[in-house]
Amino acid sequence: MPAIGVNQTGRAAARLDRSAETSLTLAPFRNRRSADAPDGRDGAPADGSTGDGTSSSLDSRGGTARAAARRRPVLILNNVTKTFPNGRSALREVDLVVPEGDFVFLVGPSGAGKSTLTKLLIRDELATEGQVILDGDDLARLPRRKVPHVRRKVGIVFQDYKLLPTKTVRENVAFALEVTGTPRRRIGPAVDRVLALVGLTAQADQYPNQLSGGESQRTAIARALVHDPRIVIADEPTGNLDPLISWEILQLLLRINELGVTVLMATHDAEVVTALRKRVVALEEGRVVRDEVGGGYHRTT
Amino acid sequence: MISFLAFSVRRAWQGFWRNAAMSLAATATMTLMLLLLAGFWIVQAGLLAGLEFVEQKVQVVADLNDGTSQAAVQSLEGHLLAMPEVRDVSYVSKDEALARFRAERVNQGQDDLTQYLNANPLPASLEVSLRNASDYGPVSDLLQSDPNVARVKNIADLANRVVTVTDFLRTGGIVLLGIVGAIVLFIIINAIRLAVLGRAEEIEVMRLVGASDAFIRWPFVFEGALVGLLGAILTVAILAAVADPLSNFMYDFFRILPIRVGSISRDVAMLVFGTGLGLGVLGAWVSVRTYLIR
Repeated sequence: MPAIGVNQTGRAAARLDRSAETSLTLAPFRNRRSADAPDGRDGAPADGSTGDGTSSSLDSRGGTARAAARRRPVLILNNVTKTFPNGRSALREVDLVVPEGDFVFLVGPSGAGKSTLTKLLIRDELATEGQVILDGDDLARLPRRKVPHVRRKVGIVFQDYKLLPTKTVRENVAFALEVTGTPRRRIGPAVDRVLALVGLTAQADQYPNQLSGGESQRTAIARALVHDPRIVIADEPTGNLDPLISWEILQLLLRINELGVTVLMATHDAEVVTALRKRVVALEEGRVVRDEVGGGYHRTT
Repeated sequence: MISFLAFSVRRAWQGFWRNAAMSLAATATMTLMLLLLAGFWIVQAGLLAGLEFVEQKVQVVADLNDGTSQAAVQSLEGHLLAMPEVRDVSYVSKDEALARFRAERVNQGQDDLTQYLNANPLPASLEVSLRNASDYGPVSDLLQSDPNVARVKNIADLANRVVTVTDFLRTGGIVLLGIVGAIVLFIIINAIRLAVLGRAEEIEVMRLVGASDAFIRWPFVFEGALVGLLGAILTVAILAAVADPLSNFMYDFFRILPIRVGSISRDVAMLVFGTGLGLGVLGAWVSVRTYLIR
């Protein structure tokens, strides 16, 4: 994906984008693409002039808490309790609202309920009590046949990548579109676009066993993004990576967030959390013990 | 819909070859099991034919009074043929009875003593073969009540024994075929299940990226059908290859038995294809179901 000139207006940029690629509904990407321009650090002016009518008018880089109240929530957990049949409580009375465009760290020791929370969001598990509302859908009330549609609004990235070893990078990413019934002619351009976004165009035809850990995780992120999700949930995406590569992955997630995608990242990486000063939600024994913007990994008080 | 079908078939084909070891193992299992099933089916068909053959040997034989008119015999034959239990009636004249007796003596290597007789002492008779060996009662009753009949040979004992034996063998054959069928069912379904389990990761990813149940299920169902079809084709090919030598070898057997090779091979082919396809599809269906949205 060639960078779009800074001197172009946002509208022109958007049009150029559309003509260069077969259009897939990657509206947030497209709107935010101009923010990628080398010195378009803020990106707000370009966005303001696109007039696409999408939810791109927020500046995700600053004032998260201030803007939170005005923005539409992508994810609401309302007094959620999850008790497993064996009586173990994984989550207790969890309240969480994630507004659109937010970047949230989910921290806590192993067994604190982070994975359970992830499973609730894709309706792999149902809450025992309380509501989980994703992009306006109450997951408990969602008919079974609509579950796949909700999952397409969520991009998931795992610590162990979950790439299919018999498929190339391109095929792994395309797979997400193929199995959801996307017409073939739209798959190619969409895949090329996300591969360019994560910087894997050159590795498109390699197999997972030829990739480094960072490349594998970027492939997984590309696959999570190819559906144009409302929210990306990354479950310890840097857990298997060395610090330098971890930063690369984090930069990528931040960039995706700048493009307008909400990111929820569960992590153990204290250094990263503390350095970035984003919103931090800490879980302990299934309860939210802390929810602060600009917090560190550890309790600051 | 058509693109969905095309997608499913394409994915099934890819899935089959990209996991060739598993798919071929499943196909081999399928082939062996279908051969087993077909083998038992053929044996069962032979057994049934053999039992039918034995039961046909049970006849109600009525000796006729000497001097019974041809018209009376024909009228009696007509009555017998009208009975639903009767399959066939044959009239054995006095001369034929004598000829048979002589042939029998010669066969046994004994002197033909009848040449010393100046008259034929053997009666003419009616031999009534039955559709069902256990239905001798009404036929026997009708013959006994006819004035031209001297005596009816009592076959109750023989008929009952034959029927007991043939019923037992028939039931045994069906039970055995049922057991073999059940074994084949479980083994094939397990083979397919293993092939699907080997792809758990793929199914997991499909679920996570939001594939609908149909998109997860049908490629596997088609793949199961492919395994079944391939197994059935191999089985029929193997059977066709051995059919000729085997039927030459068993020519005498087939010649005696009231067996129609054509209809058996058609039945077997249908059985093999039906079972292969059916179990392939069923196996894939139940195996994938485990992974679908709960």
